[in-house]
Amino acid sequence: MLVEFKHTLRRLRGSMIGWGIGLALYGLLMVALFDSIVGIEGFEELIASYPEEILAFFGDMMTITTPKGYLDIYYFAYMTVVVGIFAVGAGANLLVGDEEKGILDLVLAHPVSRTAVVWGRLLGFAAATAAILFVGWLSWVIPAGGTGMNLTWIEFLRPFFPLFAVLLLFGTLALLLSLLLPSARAASMVAGGLLVANFLLVGLANINPELQSVVEFTPLHYYQGGDAVTELNWGWLLGLLAVSVALALLSWWRFQRRDIRVGGERGWRLFALRRRARAEREA
Amino acid sequence: MSDEAAIVTQGLTKSYGRVQALRGIDLEVRRGEILGFLGPNGAGKTTTIRCLLDLIRPDGGTVRVLGLDPQADPVAVRARVGYLPGELQLDPNMTGQEALQYFNALRGNRADWSFVRQIAERMDLDAGVPVKNLSHGNKQKIGIVQALMHRPELLLLDEPTLGLDPLMQQEVLRLLAEAQAGGATVFFSSHIMSEVEAAAERVVIIRLGEVVEVAETASLIDRALHRARVRFKEAVDVQMLANVPGVTLLSQDEDTSVVLQVEGEMDALIKALAAFPVLDFETQRPSLEEIFLAYYAEAK
Repeated sequence: MLVEFKHTLRRLRGSMIGWGIGLALYGLLMVALFDSIVGIEGFEELIASYPEEILAFFGDMMTITTPKGYLDIYYFAYMTVVVGIFAVGAGANLLVGDEEKGILDLVLAHPVSRTAVVWGRLLGFAAATAAILFVGWLSWVIPAGGTGMNLTWIEFLRPFFPLFAVLLLFGTLALLLSLLLPSARAASMVAGGLLVANFLLVGLANINPELQSVVEFTPLHYYQGGDAVTELNWGWLLGLLAVSVALALLSWWRFQRRDIRVGGERGWRLFALRRRARAEREA
Repeated sequence: MSDEAAIVTQGLTKSYGRVQALRGIDLEVRRGEILGFLGPNGAGKTTTIRCLLDLIRPDGGTVRVLGLDPQADPVAVRARVGYLPGELQLDPNMTGQEALQYFNALRGNRADWSFVRQIAERMDLDAGVPVKNLSHGNKQKIGIVQALMHRPELLLLDEPTLGLDPLMQQEVLRLLAEAQAGGATVFFSSHIMSEVEAAAERVVIIRLGEVVEVAETASLIDRALHRARVRFKEAVDVQMLANVPGVTLLSQDEDTSVVLQVEGEMDALIKALAAFPVLDFETQRPSLEEIFLAYYAEAK
């Protein structure tokens, strides 16, 4: 398992560097802009003049001039979707990406169990995600001392936990879908689509209370975002982590029973290829 | 089922949807032998090999590899087996060296690295080059090295010389012979009949998911159809030759030259020819390729 863990980290190092730099630059920019933005004269009035629907969609926008509200609205409110691109892409390709390239065939011909491959790679993915978020956290906590963002390091850190849990959940969902759908690409698209749909649904539920009953069954309803600055909702956090573990277990179970495909066998064309092979045999 | 066998399959079946890839494969590979596995594309060679490693699960039948059930104990089986897939793919971002180190790590760092270097040198492999910059043949060399590096008891090789130049093909065959001399069993598939003929003691021919022939390579060739070309000093009645048991007249040229097909031993034909004024007599031993093609001609 350790070999696969290290191998996954090695393979995701490019993503870690790219996403880490991206998040760091954005964090540094937002910290640098904090004093300027909250200091704009009449900024609160400007926000208050926004249409009611816009204000409701993004949550409590009137708190934008506080460090907590600023962090929530300018960062954590949509980081699920932004870093979610990495999570669903990495999750969908964790096993099936290699399988489609024909690489997994030789890996599994070595004395390593499928269990070790699944959990080693999942832990590698979780560690890579944590590393990206850690860089994101550093980009806020290090320069914040020179600004009016009077939050402690732990207050900056807390919202990253629910974000990590959501990314893990959608990453494991993408992994499971990759084992159910004909290709890793299809799994990425479906998982990504579900993430974006969930994001929009949560915002719309703030406008239309009738959607609340639906949104309660979706993961992002239990995502605290910037609200976690003051206190973590442990029930929600553990719930998100539990769903991730359940999805990971389903993926593991599914992978145990899977016939490993050889390179090139993927996509919806798989069915057409099998039909053609049958026709050739019969001919 | 022999305890001495390296591989035993009985009634192995596997379907992909409605396509029956294996239709009851019965196979026994003796320990210490080199066995060639022949069949055209889609015959079921790769599917059989992948069932032996639990990469795919058969629908029916039993499999034993080195006395173990690959489904029940896949890790123990793979620890003792070296495998080369038919369509070798490696992580393009690794160098050959990194790929070999990764595979060695998956084996618990069991390989003797001086032995690895020795094989790599013999294969003329530059392991420092990223896989994405390697030709197919050079990737294949990495595949050969990783299959041999831990001195496995059993080698399962799917088209081991694919993409290699003739010199390297010979080197691979030498490596396989050395592995066998060291006690390993070699089970390999190939499309190159001459190399199977040169390397394999026995061959298994598979057609449409079924084993159609298992034989010693030499005896398969010996008991196959031979061809004889006879030239006479003068015109003769060649029909007399065609009436010899086991002999078929393939062609004739003005009653002074004939091409005959002989099934089994030549004895009867040679005795019959004693009555003719023979100028020249030439026999052609069939290649394994011709025998292989004959099986498929029969099927059509």
